[in-house]
Amino acid sequence: MLPNTLNTTKTTTLHRLSRWLLVVLISACQPASENTRPVGLEIWAHAGQQAERTVLEAQIARFNGQHDDIRVSLTFLPEGAYNGQVQAAALAGELPDILEFDGPYLYNYAWAGKLRSLDELLPHELLADLLPSVTAQGRYRGKLYAVGTFDSGLGLYAHRGALADVGIRLPETPQQAWTIEEFDALLEALARKDPDGAVLDLKLNYSGEWFSYGFAPIVQSAGGDLIDRRNYQTAQGVLNGAASVRALQRVQNWFNNGYVDANLDDAAFVTERVALSWVGHWEYSRYHAALGEELMLVPLPDFGNGTRTGQGSWNWGISKRCANPRAAAKFLAFLLEPEEVLAMSGANGAVPATYRAIARSPRFATGGPLHLYVQQLTEGVAVPRPRTPAYPIISSAFAQAIDDIRHGTVVQNALDRAVTIIDQDLSDNYGYPVFATEGGWP
Amino acid sequence: MAVRPATVPVGQRNLASWFVAPAALLLLAFMLLPFVLAVAISFTNLRLGSPLPVEWTGLRAYQRLFQDQTFGRALLNNLLFASVVVPLQTLLALALAVLLNQPVRGITIFRTVLFMPVIFPLSLLSVVWVLLLAPGPDGTINALLTTVSLGAWQPRDFLNDAIWALPSVMLVSIWQGTGFQMIVLLAGMQSIPKQLYEAAAGDGAGAWQRFRHVTLPQLRNSLVFVMIVTSILSFRVFDQVRIMTRGGPSDASTTVIFEAVRAAFDRAQVSRGAAMTVVFFLIVLTLTMLQRWLLRLGRPGVEK
Amino acid sequence: MIDSGATWRQLLAVVGLLTFLSILFVAPIVLILAGSLKPEARVLSEAGTLRAFFPTRVSLQNYRDVFERVPVVLYLFNSGLINGLIVSLGLIVNSLAGYALARLRWPGRGRFLLLVLALLIIPFEALSVPLFYALSALGLRDTYMVQVLPFVANPLAIYLFYSFFLSLPAELEEAAQLDGAGPLRTFVVIIVPNAKPAFATVAIVMLLFHWGMYLWPLLMTAGESVRPLPLGIASFYSLPPRQWGDILAFSIIMVLPVLLLFMIFQRAFVRGVASSGVKG
Repeated sequence: MLPNTLNTTKTTTLHRLSRWLLVVLISACQPASENTRPVGLEIWAHAGQQAERTVLEAQIARFNGQHDDIRVSLTFLPEGAYNGQVQAAALAGELPDILEFDGPYLYNYAWAGKLRSLDELLPHELLADLLPSVTAQGRYRGKLYAVGTFDSGLGLYAHRGALADVGIRLPETPQQAWTIEEFDALLEALARKDPDGAVLDLKLNYSGEWFSYGFAPIVQSAGGDLIDRRNYQTAQGVLNGAASVRALQRVQNWFNNGYVDANLDDAAFVTERVALSWVGHWEYSRYHAALGEELMLVPLPDFGNGTRTGQGSWNWGISKRCANPRAAAKFLAFLLEPEEVLAMSGANGAVPATYRAIARSPRFATGGPLHLYVQQLTEGVAVPRPRTPAYPIISSAFAQAIDDIRHGTVVQNALDRAVTIIDQDLSDNYGYPVFATEGGWP
Repeated sequence: MAVRPATVPVGQRNLASWFVAPAALLLLAFMLLPFVLAVAISFTNLRLGSPLPVEWTGLRAYQRLFQDQTFGRALLNNLLFASVVVPLQTLLALALAVLLNQPVRGITIFRTVLFMPVIFPLSLLSVVWVLLLAPGPDGTINALLTTVSLGAWQPRDFLNDAIWALPSVMLVSIWQGTGFQMIVLLAGMQSIPKQLYEAAAGDGAGAWQRFRHVTLPQLRNSLVFVMIVTSILSFRVFDQVRIMTRGGPSDASTTVIFEAVRAAFDRAQVSRGAAMTVVFFLIVLTLTMLQRWLLRLGRPGVEK
Repeated sequence: MIDSGATWRQLLAVVGLLTFLSILFVAPIVLILAGSLKPEARVLSEAGTLRAFFPTRVSLQNYRDVFERVPVVLYLFNSGLINGLIVSLGLIVNSLAGYALARLRWPGRGRFLLLVLALLIIPFEALSVPLFYALSALGLRDTYMVQVLPFVANPLAIYLFYSFFLSLPAELEEAAQLDGAGPLRTFVVIIVPNAKPAFATVAIVMLLFHWGMYLWPLLMTAGESVRPLPLGIASFYSLPPRQWGDILAFSIIMVLPVLLLFMIFQRAFVRGVASSGVKG
C-alpha cells in the first residue's frame, strides 16, 4: 500500500518534471512570442467515483494532446466538500477558469455574476444537440450559464416477479404511469404478502438534497410546485396549496401504514425486502447485478396531473475571471463530443446529455432498459429545479417539511412553515432582482 | 493549604503583562474581533454569496428569532441536554476515575480503552450509533434491550421517535465525552498527596470517609473545571444532531448551534445565524456565571 | 483507594466492573474496526447484528482503497504539522497566560479572567463566517498559517492552566524568590516541571479539539497541498451507495496517530505526577 502511494507520487512528480523540461526545451528552441505560449486553463472538478476521475483525467490528456495552444490543468475537490469549497472560493474571489458545480448552486452564481454566458461561446449545432433538460437547467433569465455532459434520471425500480404476483399492469412510457389510486392499491396488495409490510424504499437513508430532488415531483405531479414559477416571487398557494397537501397526505399515509422501509443498510431492494425502490439512475448497476432480468424501471406514480420526475446533475461553467473564454469554451465543446459524453456516461451510468451520444448508447437508446429516462427528459416530464438563487433555501425548507411529514406533522402545517421560510428569504432579497449585467461582480 | 497568588514586586508588573500579551493579542484577533463582527452582522441582513448591498436592519433578526418556535425549542433542548448530560457524565466519570485510581497492574489498559471514544471524530461515531440504534428487532440496541428485559421491550425507532430522539443524542454524547472527564479527574486524583490519605487512615477513616473528606475536597478544582467544560460543550452540541436526527423528528432534538449552522451555511442567512449565536452566548454566559457563583458559595473563604 | 492489604475480592470486583464497562464503551469502536476489515457489501448488512463486531474473512481491501483515493501521506504530514504547531505554540502561549492569571498581580487581571471565561463559551462555528471574510480578504486562504494561528490561544487551555496553577502551593515560588529568581525564571525552572499533568492534559485537549477539524479547513483550503487529513473523508461521501468500508478504514487511519500520542502522553501523566514535588 505505502510503497505504491509513494511510487505514484514519484511518477507524477517525474511526469511533471519531464513535462516541464519539455516545455522549457520547446520554448528554448522556438523564438519566444505571445502566440506560442499555450493558454493555461485551470479547472476544478468534483472527485467522484474512481471511474469518473479516470475518464476526466484521460479526457484532459486527450484535449491537451489535440491542442498545442491550450494547457488544461485539473484540480479535484472531494465531492463531500465540493459545494462548500466552491462557495468559499467564490466568496473569496478565487474561482478557477472552468468549474463544475452541482445544480442547486448554479443560479446563485449566475445571479451574482460569477459566470459567463455560454450562448455566444458554444457552437449552435452543439447547443441544438443538447437534451432540452440540460439547457433548461443551465439557463437563468434567458441566458445559458452552464452545460452538463450528463443528466440524471429518476423513477421507480421494481421487482418484476413481485408485481406479477399481485397482477398489476406494467407501465412502459411516462404516459402509462400508474395513477396514484393504482399505486396506493399496489402498495396495499404488496404489503399484504410481505412479512414486515414494508414494500417501498424511498431512500430515507439519504439526506439533504435527495429529499427535494426525489420528492418535489410528487407535488409537481399533483399540480403544485416548490415555487410559483410565473415570477419566482412566492411559494404561497403553490407549495402549500390544496393539491400539494393532498399529495403529501398520501405519502404520509404510506409512512403511517408502514409501507416504507427505513433502509438503514441501503440494501432494502437488493435483498428483496421491498419490491419497489424510488431512486435515481445511479442505482442501476447495483440493482441489475442483484436482480438481473427481474429488474424493471417504471415512471413515478401520477398524482393527478401526469407523472413528473427530477432532473439535473453536475454542470460545467466558465467563470467571469477566465481570461480566455474562447479557449475554455473549446474545452467544454470537446467534453460534449459524443465519444467523450459516452465515456463519462459509461463511467457513472448517468444519462448522456446529447442526442448523438444517446443514439449510440445501448442502455439509453430506443429499446434500451433505461430509455424511459430519456423519454422523461425529452418529453417534458422532468421538471427543472426552480431557476432562482433562492433554490438552496427552497430545498432546505422543503427537505425539512418532508422530514416533518414523515414524522407525523400535519401536512398543511409542515408546508406552511416551508412557505414562510421561502417567502421570507425572497422578500429579504427583494425577490432577487436583476443584479449582474455584463460588468458583473468581481 | 494556602492558595494565594504570590505578590510581585512593582518593577515586575510589566513583565507580568508580557506573560499575557501573546494570548491576549491572539484572542483579540481571532475571537474577540470576529465575535464583535458577528454581533454587528446580526444587526444587518448579510447573506452568504449575495451581491446585493448589505443593509442595517436593526433588531429584525432578533425579533424573528423570538417569534420562531423552532428556535425556542432549540433553546429548550439545549437546557434539557445540559441539565441531564452534565451531572450524569460527571458522576460516571468520577466513578470511573475512582475505579482506575487503584494500584493494580495493567489498569492502564482500561484507561486507554475507556478513553477510546474521545479520540474518534464525533461525526463518525454518530454514524456508528445510527447503525446501533437501528429500528426493528434486529437493531443491536433493540435486540440487547429485548434480551435483557426477557422480551418485554418493544423495539422502536429511537432516532425517529419524538420521545427517544433527544435521549439518544444524550446517550451518545455521554458515552463519547466521559473518557475525557475521567482522565482529567484521574490526573487530579493522582496529584493528591498520599500523606493526606495516610493521615486520614491513621485517624481511622474508612474508604468512604477518605473519599468524602480527602478526595472530593482535593479534587475540587478538577471537578469545577470538568463541570464547566462539560456544560459549555453540551451547549455546543452539533455533530451528533446533524448526523443522527437532523434536529427531528419535528424539532424534537434540534439545538441552537445546529439551527445556527443550518441558517448560515444551508440557507445563506448569515445574520440570522449570527443573531442565534449572540442570544446563545448571552444565555450561556449568564448560566456559567450563575454556576460559578453557586460553586463558589459552597466553598467559604476561597481566594480567586 | 485500595489499601496494600486489600482483599482479592475487592480487586476482583474492581477489575470485573472495569471489564464490563470497558466492553460497553469499546463495543461501537470494535464495530468500526471490524467494519473496516470487511468487504464493502457486508459492512451495512451486518451492522444491526452481532456479526457487526466480528470480521470474518479479514481483508485489507478498504485500506488499499483509502490509500488509492486519498494522498494519506501528504494529508498526514499536513495534519501533523498544523496540529504540532497549534499544540506546541498553544502550550507556551496559554501556560504563560494561565500562570499570570493565577500567580501574578497585575492591573486588569480580573477583567482578563472574565474575558477568558466569556470567550470559552463562544463556539468556533459562530466565528467562522466573520473570520472567513476577514482572513480571505487578507489573502491568507490556502496556507498553513490560517489553519494554525486562530487556534493557538485557547480560552479552555488558559482556564485549565489557570486552575492548575492555582492549586500549586505558594511555597514553591517563595523558595525561588528567595533565591532571587524573577517570574520568568521561576516559571520555567520551578513551575513548568511541577505542572506536567497540566501540560499533558492541555496537549491532549488541544490535539483532540483540532485533529478532527473539518469546517474550517473546508472553507480555507482549495488545493491539495495544505489540506489536512479530516478533509479526506469527503472523498468517500460521493454519490450513493456510500463506501462504508472505506469510510471506516479511513477513520481508523485518521485516529491512529492520536491514539499513539495519547498512549505516550498518559504515561507522561503518571511519571510527571510521580516525580513532581507536589506532595504537600
